[in-house]
Amino acid sequence: MFKWEKLGIIFNPLQLNGESWMKEYAQAPSAVIFENHVRVFFSSRGLPDEKGQYISRLGYIDLKRDNLFEIVKICRSPVLSLGETGTFDEFGTNPASVIKTGDELRVYYAGWTRCESVPFNAAIGVGVSADNGETFIRLGKGPVLSYSPDEPFVLGSPKVRMFNKRWYLWYSSGKEWMKSDTRPEPVYKIRMAYSTDGIQWTKVGKDLIEDILEKNECQASPDVFFFNGKYHMFFSFRYNLNFREENKGYRIGYAYSDDLLNWVRDDAGAGISASEEGWDSESVSYPYVFELDNKVYMLYQGNEIGKYGFGLAQLDSYN
Amino acid sequence: MKWKKLGKIFDPRDYKLANNCVEFAQSPQALVCEDYVRIYFSSREKDKTGKYLSHVSYVDFEKNFKKVKGVSDKTVIPLGGLGCFDEHGIFPMNVVRDKNRILAYTTGWNRKISVSADASIGLAISGDNGVSFNKVGTGPVLTASLHEPFLVCDAFVKIVESTYHMWYIYGTKWINDSEESEPQRVYKIAYARSNDGVIWNRDGKQIIADVLDENECQALPTVIQSGDKYHMFFCYRYASGFRKIKERGYRIGYAISEDLANWTREDANGGLHVSQDGWDSDMLCYPNVFNCDDNIYMLYNGNEFGRFGFGLAVLEK
Repeated sequence: MFKWEKLGIIFNPLQLNGESWMKEYAQAPSAVIFENHVRVFFSSRGLPDEKGQYISRLGYIDLKRDNLFEIVKICRSPVLSLGETGTFDEFGTNPASVIKTGDELRVYYAGWTRCESVPFNAAIGVGVSADNGETFIRLGKGPVLSYSPDEPFVLGSPKVRMFNKRWYLWYSSGKEWMKSDTRPEPVYKIRMAYSTDGIQWTKVGKDLIEDILEKNECQASPDVFFFNGKYHMFFSFRYNLNFREENKGYRIGYAYSDDLLNWVRDDAGAGISASEEGWDSESVSYPYVFELDNKVYMLYQGNEIGKYGFGLAQLDSYN
Repeated sequence: MKWKKLGKIFDPRDYKLANNCVEFAQSPQALVCEDYVRIYFSSREKDKTGKYLSHVSYVDFEKNFKKVKGVSDKTVIPLGGLGCFDEHGIFPMNVVRDKNRILAYTTGWNRKISVSADASIGLAISGDNGVSFNKVGTGPVLTASLHEPFLVCDAFVKIVESTYHMWYIYGTKWINDSEESEPQRVYKIAYARSNDGVIWNRDGKQIIADVLDENECQALPTVIQSGDKYHMFFCYRYASGFRKIKERGYRIGYAISEDLANWTREDANGGLHVSQDGWDSDMLCYPNVFNCDDNIYMLYNGNEFGRFGFGLAVLEK
């Protein structure tokens, strides 16, 4: 099992007098390593509108490579525009996963649109950057991964990885909208697709991770990395309804696999949970694991799904 | 092409339809059976917010199209569940025989906030000769993709030598027009191919040239083989003002092809035009062309997008 040492919070947008689009939330950190710095992409939000609705935008901060607690740059403007009227990403781009490929960066992100009978729908878009992530251009006005007969709506939280020259995308896929006293909430499960070019994807078409909380358990942000001869997945999961109550919010789950397709869930092996107090005392979620200079780190978001930012943990031991 | 109009053959107000539908018989689509012709169409009920829900019904005609044998009195295909692509209506539904099954390619509608709705194409299968259909999954078989950002709908499928060919439309943009109260859509005809009718290959390219302007809206392609060519009929209109101004409303367009993929537009040879007066004097839309006995027929809607029914024309020999 993994054992992580929490190193503390890295970035809290509420402590900045930030740009109008970066007032609160720093969600779903995703890192790209450069010679002297680590660029961490995340989704942030301006203040909500009169109906309490937010628009999430993609930005980054740069951390000093030899001291990840030193922020050397905070981007001023969102690095990806919103979609045009009527497109899948008109009302937000969150979360996002960034990968380096040759001289370019690719971003895979969940685009958000607003609907009448349910509050939203989401599908997965792709953008490319030729300037190390200062700006991303979407490859088309529509999504790169969208709905199919057994994935009817809410395709979200994409995480892109490349193993053995093949592209992999783990994501969550909506199953059903559950009615509640307030607004409908979707049930979603972790799924996978693969590709030779990152554009044409083949869906595997099965739920990868068994439920442990309830049938309507919601699973998101499946982050996969290869370590010690196995594939490891850290993800987030929570109850479907009332997830803002104590003990029903997101926590980090864990599974392992030899072949990327068949996964054994073993949450006890995750080795990270909410703290006794502080910025991550209620929930931890949206893990992103990466290796840097012979150390393994996990970026993750804390309370209220990252409203107060994200922090860092370092792998202490694995056995 | 020279058509003889046989007049309006069906008015939904004359029948009791399922799902509280009282008006509209849109996009008639024929399934030719041994001794009758089943014609599917989309009718509408008003929901509690006053907005429409489109439901599929059918009417069975004797093969002379003069006598109605009956109409569907039960739900042919249910609307989708909460949040599904076809929650707020199915319109149109294209039917195609595939050995001993009948496939239905549906256009499902879901309401949105910044624009009125989105649409995707679903698949359903009937094992009871088209009385009812079971959906393949709760999601669509064809939906938005990188270069077809929304409004993927109006499928027409033809099986030729065990390859499935589909002509359909995709949205290119929503435009704001000072004469209209909300954004208006622009859509074009495209082409997809499949080996199984479920997984489709497409390149998101417009296959029919515009004749009006770049915002021409092209809808509901229907294809038939005659002689050594394939013939496509479709409807097209201006992007705005098409509801009220006759000259901007739907007309029937026409194109020919030798290979099902590359088409030459020849509207002047299509041969079906608005009448001087009567039920199809303002617009012509939603054509469906089919063979029955030794004739080629076209079903189509007239004024007000088929609010008061559909009519029939026969190709003169």
